[in-house]
Amino acid sequence: MKSGKRVVLVLMVLFAFGLVACQKRAVTKADTGQQAQPQTMEKKDQEKVSESKIDSTIESVDVKDKDAQYAESKESMFSDILFDYDKYDVADKYKSVLQSVSSWMAKNTSARLSIEGHCDDRGTNEYNLALGDRRAKAVKDYLVSLGVAADRINVISYGEERPLCNEQTEVCWAKNRRAHFVVLTKVGK
Amino acid sequence: MRTNIIGHRHRDIMSCVTVITLLTLILFIACLFPRTAAAKVYIDITSPSAKKLPIAIYDLQGPSGKEISDIIRDDLSFTSLFMYIDKASYIEPLSDKFSQQNWKPLGIEAVVKGTTRGNSSLTADITVYDVFDGRPVLTRQYQSTPELVRQLAHSIANDIYQAFTGQPGVFRTKVAFVAEDDGEKGIYVMDWDGHRVKKLGLKGTLVLSPRWSADGTKMIYSSERGRQWGIYLLDFVKMTEKRIVASKGTNIAGDFFPKGDAITYSSSKDGTPDIYVMSLKDHENRKLTRTQGIEVSPTVSPNGNHIAFVSDRGGSPQIYLMRTDGSDIRRVTFEGSYNTSPSWSPSGDRIVFSCRRGKNQICIVNPDGSDLLQLTETGNNEDPSFSPDGRYITFSSDREKIRGIYIMRANGEGQKKISPPGLRSYGSRWSPN
Repeated sequence: MKSGKRVVLVLMVLFAFGLVACQKRAVTKADTGQQAQPQTMEKKDQEKVSESKIDSTIESVDVKDKDAQYAESKESMFSDILFDYDKYDVADKYKSVLQSVSSWMAKNTSARLSIEGHCDDRGTNEYNLALGDRRAKAVKDYLVSLGVAADRINVISYGEERPLCNEQTEVCWAKNRRAHFVVLTKVGK
Repeated sequence: MRTNIIGHRHRDIMSCVTVITLLTLILFIACLFPRTAAAKVYIDITSPSAKKLPIAIYDLQGPSGKEISDIIRDDLSFTSLFMYIDKASYIEPLSDKFSQQNWKPLGIEAVVKGTTRGNSSLTADITVYDVFDGRPVLTRQYQSTPELVRQLAHSIANDIYQAFTGQPGVFRTKVAFVAEDDGEKGIYVMDWDGHRVKKLGLKGTLVLSPRWSADGTKMIYSSERGRQWGIYLLDFVKMTEKRIVASKGTNIAGDFFPKGDAITYSSSKDGTPDIYVMSLKDHENRKLTRTQGIEVSPTVSPNGNHIAFVSDRGGSPQIYLMRTDGSDIRRVTFEGSYNTSPSWSPSGDRIVFSCRRGKNQICIVNPDGSDLLQLTETGNNEDPSFSPDGRYITFSSDREKIRGIYIMRANGEGQKKISPPGLRSYGSRWSPN
């Protein structure tokens, strides 16, 4: 009877050891970062391969130009303001150009001005769109400081999307880093 | 009475011994064959030096059979986890019963067999064998229409990939991008392998930054229409487009939040480009940054807790990180004078971005700024984003003169162009599913 108890005890210890050993094994398995594997598929399963169709007839939004009643000047009467690489501060040498823009706006009270900010294409597209915006804004701020009403000037960035010059040269890049003036005059006037 | 009790106790002990002996025996056997208990791991994809699994892929017999097999081979080969063994070395005829003796001497560990039938409706029966165990690990029938033959093949490749790695494959994902055709810029979508290129018919001639929602059913992007950069939301289920940000100034799409109920974007409506969050339910806006400089390209971490973005507040464009309420702003990148276009890895442990090293390259960094790695070397490389499994990166590059869309493995290996030759393409974004 005593020996019987001992056998039970020994077996229980063995069992416990076995459990731990097995668990350890399972843990090591899990540690490799693997998820459950799909097991052998005894029964043949089926997959219907389909795709939600991308239709090319999208109801796309049309946006009207708020300045549509204004006509764009074909050739700009003011020269472009150029910027240094990755910069958006207006250099002193352009202050005379901006002075003449301001004087012209004072005389032509019904005209509006659109300032386009552009970049060379060495930067990344999204940052350049923000940089172009910042360049046009810098020019607008200067004009406002000279007395042009802020609501007569709109600002638009074209980033690197509408280059003036398409070569990969310093000369070309310099031309593209620009704020460009478009004078808008009321149609029929 | 007493003996009786002893007798009972003795019997109890004996039955207990039997039960425990049996249990121990079962346990012992179970431990000997762990494979029957736990699932088999063929390829540990977390190991950087994982051995490639040699796989035999027959040309499926039947209509489009060879085409399907070629697609499966290309898919699996690009992962660098499989090594396709040329069919010229196969001893076993396709119609013969699979026998491991035919494959073991060749060192081949997996065999893909199958047939196709039907014309108006295409059916493929596929069996994939594990040579070592000498049994099939995948037996499945695929049904489709002939025009979706590529998607059918990608579905088979996904299942094979999952059977051997335990992870879902990305062979049915897509890449959205911007391309210029006749001076008009539009959003395009193509399969991840560059096939089935489709232009979405959208208004406007300038478009930028397509961004997928986490469930892949929606997309936001910036478009210039009527002298105004607005942010538009395209619903792929309803096939409708909505303008969701129309305030004055330059509005640039950033990213969806993981739940799809809000977006983040950059806008100069208050003067200079700053980061905003907008709920898509009530369209309420929250402004997160306030500087006189440029704050752009916000991208939400996969857990929705952080936003990585670009700011020039330190004098040059760099990657920054903040909480989604705008607090706790930290600078991530310090090396180089021009780091832009951040995008998160799906697990949120890495940020991939465009870094200027002479020209723009693709770099990758931990969100805390550690472990910076440069992944590309030639040409200008921009617009990086991860595949949904985090193993691949798509980006744009002008290394072959004209800008195009490329893919590579996340360690920089296997770089190849996927967009159509001659189509000026950029702004790539990998779909989430």
